[in-house]
Amino acid sequence: MNTHAAVPHVPRTSVTFEAAGISKSYGPNVILDDVGFEVPANQVVTLVGENGAGKSTIFNILSGLTTPSAGSMRLNGRPYAPRSYGEAVDHGVSRVFQEQALIQNVPVYENLLLGQDHRFLRYGQLVDRAGMIDAARRIVEEAGIDVDVRRRTGDYDFSKRQSIEIARACLAPTLVAGIRSPLVLLDEPTSALDRRDEEAFFRLVRRIRQFGSLLFVSHRLSEVLEISDLIYVLKDGKLVARLDPRTADEPLLHSLMVGRERAADYYYERRQRDVAAQPVVLSAEGIDLDGKGGALGIEVRAGEIVGVGGLLDSGKSALGKAVAGVVPPVAGKVALSGAPGRTPDIRRFVGKGLGYIPAERLVEGIIPSFSVAWNLSTGSGGDLFSGPLGFWRRRREVATARHYIDSLAIRSATPDLSCRRLSGGNQQKVVLARWLARRPKVLILDNPTRGVDAGAKQEIYRLIRELTEAGVGIVLITDELLELIGLSNRVLIMQRGRIAAEVPAPADAKPTEHQLVVRMLPQGSTGELPSEAPAVAAAPFQPAALETV
Amino acid sequence: MSLAVPSEHGKPLRGLLDAFRSVEKSLWFPIGVVLFLFVFFSLATESFATLRNFTAISGQAATLLIVCLGATFVVLMGSIDLSVGAIVLLVGAGGVQILNSFGIGYWVLPLAALLGGLLGAINGAVYVYGRIPSFIVTLGTLSVFTGIALTLLDGRAIQFTAPGFEQIAIGQFIPRLPNIALWSLVAWVLVVVVAVRTRFGRYMYLIGGGEQVASTSGLPVRRYKIYAFAISGVLAGLGSILAVARLGAAGPSLGSDLLLNSLAAIVVGGTSLAGGVGGPHRTLIGVLIIAILDNGLNLMGVSQYLQMIIKGLVVIAAVLVSRNATQEAVVK
Repeated sequence: MNTHAAVPHVPRTSVTFEAAGISKSYGPNVILDDVGFEVPANQVVTLVGENGAGKSTIFNILSGLTTPSAGSMRLNGRPYAPRSYGEAVDHGVSRVFQEQALIQNVPVYENLLLGQDHRFLRYGQLVDRAGMIDAARRIVEEAGIDVDVRRRTGDYDFSKRQSIEIARACLAPTLVAGIRSPLVLLDEPTSALDRRDEEAFFRLVRRIRQFGSLLFVSHRLSEVLEISDLIYVLKDGKLVARLDPRTADEPLLHSLMVGRERAADYYYERRQRDVAAQPVVLSAEGIDLDGKGGALGIEVRAGEIVGVGGLLDSGKSALGKAVAGVVPPVAGKVALSGAPGRTPDIRRFVGKGLGYIPAERLVEGIIPSFSVAWNLSTGSGGDLFSGPLGFWRRRREVATARHYIDSLAIRSATPDLSCRRLSGGNQQKVVLARWLARRPKVLILDNPTRGVDAGAKQEIYRLIRELTEAGVGIVLITDELLELIGLSNRVLIMQRGRIAAEVPAPADAKPTEHQLVVRMLPQGSTGELPSEAPAVAAAPFQPAALETV
Repeated sequence: MSLAVPSEHGKPLRGLLDAFRSVEKSLWFPIGVVLFLFVFFSLATESFATLRNFTAISGQAATLLIVCLGATFVVLMGSIDLSVGAIVLLVGAGGVQILNSFGIGYWVLPLAALLGGLLGAINGAVYVYGRIPSFIVTLGTLSVFTGIALTLLDGRAIQFTAPGFEQIAIGQFIPRLPNIALWSLVAWVLVVVVAVRTRFGRYMYLIGGGEQVASTSGLPVRRYKIYAFAISGVLAGLGSILAVARLGAAGPSLGSDLLLNSLAAIVVGGTSLAGGVGGPHRTLIGVLIIAILDNGLNLMGVSQYLQMIIKGLVVIAAVLVSRNATQEAVVK
């Protein structure tokens, strides 16, 4: 254990949750390695670590979604081994998921009391609606959020819905199910909250301390230091430190998480080129994403990286899908390499030198059960890998796969190996190779490094730079602020389906995180931002910037 | 699986070996069932293990095999075609009328393929452009096609009058092997080659394994879905005329047992209803299981009703066991 770690004094008797020797591996990939930690009663405990350090896996194990390969857990002194989320909830463990788990078209009170319906039955079958509404109101009042529980859930915006979900996880077990000391798991709860709801959330955290415990994952280190009683640092599936927030600071947390000096030029900014003289390779005009009359435009020059940033529901992913023609927009034209603009259609654009890498890798990017070679050749079936009579060129397919396994260093892969057995970073390299094999002119990347470990991340950054040097124009849509700043030549900021700002980002005058975040926030909340506050603390931003220096 | 990269020279051999190994692993169960049924019925009845009976089985199984081959593509890409039996009935009814009215002889075969392909393409187009689950679409066309066919037949069996036409089905180029079985094996080889060696085959696997991935990568998913249904229709049409030639007539019950039997054979063979797993090479084994079961139970004198019960249970059991073995749980 780290020498910096000043262990807060915790009396053994007050421990709510204990985990010992938890390990988890998927095939050759070790996700968690002998992790032990505890959550004392009435305390806020935080797990910090880079993407892929194993935080979500710990949460999945605690909430019964996966079982550990080894190790044991105890809750309130009794052995605890949930086999489903329902079982975890019965034991008083509730969780707020990163993706919202609310049903949009039912009233708020039904969402708040989801899974508790049986407590509101009269004569066995009739639902006591008034009783449910009363109970839901108590939860909302206690949580201090401004919500009418009878309204449709979908009527509230993303931030409010997140608050509703937090309130449900935190308060329903105690107020409705009568569980005396609940353990609440919060996975990046504040990333989607706007300023006002964030304050309500911090008040709620202080309330929960009076009766339950919180286990919390966050990337915003200043926030972590402020609200935690105890901090655990995870790195590459191992617990590397247990810290008292009173004696820790951001640089210490950061160095423990990363565990190495990051290369000075992580994003290869020195290789960023001026592209003013280059030809335009992609030009989109009048893109209307939702039929509400929007008219977004985007222009990318050869060798340029145009970053697109914004909050979770800003529509930046939808813009990427629209421009690539994966989900064609309601209106708008896209022109590739100076050709006349047409309604985007991925099937035709692929033939014209466009490639699209989706954010949801396991759903849209790769077919996990299929082999590396098969996944790689998907996308070139119409030309590279089939002959004039429609016969498949298997030898060329395997040779191409072998070539990219070598040149992109796709570790532990063979052409025949199923992609399920590769790590996230190597899977993403397979998706990249799918398009590299086509020598693309334009690439649209949606969160290309999501769920990718730090080492593979840097390789992907280098690859992206090399592509721009070869004249490829790139649209980079990302939630990671520093990646957005570091890689882009210029940054477009989106808000609610519109482009709200364009920020130039030349290599010698990169914008700060704060400058970008201010433009991402809806008007009104920007004014409340203290101008010199660290951007990370103020950013309602998904996997927010870890790489804060 | 070995992680060592095979040398360039040993590639084809190694590839063949790997293919053999991977086939063997997931195929042992259905092959085992075939062997078990074979041994069981050989011991239980005297007439099962005779050349004459094998000739009979191959004739009975042939139509089922031809029809299942096309439907396998549909299942492979994650959809379902319930209407193959109805297409067989409609093409048979129409084919026999045309044969009798125009005397076009063997030219009825391409015509049947065309008609079947058209009916299949209608299924595919409604499914793709109407965004209706294929289950519902083909359930609807099952009824429509059957209705039209029964109208054509006026509820009666119609014999064809073309002399010697039955030879394409019951003649024996190869002694003891009825031609219909020969054609079905030829079709099987061709379809297997299409499945494993062509773009069409690969796209079927990709669409079934990850439709979103396929469309995000720019595959013409909708077009290939229609192709799959059309091919299913073509093979059903061909199977229909061959069945008519074998039976000597098209009657209202033509193809009526294909709805259950085709899906049973495909699934028992090991093509997952979830899509992306299996293939036409496996369907041959599924067809053998169904055909041997039918034939053997008949020879044992088991009642028709008990046969239905046994066949249903065998289908469920086979899928249960093979699913556990391959960990494929999701069925769309």
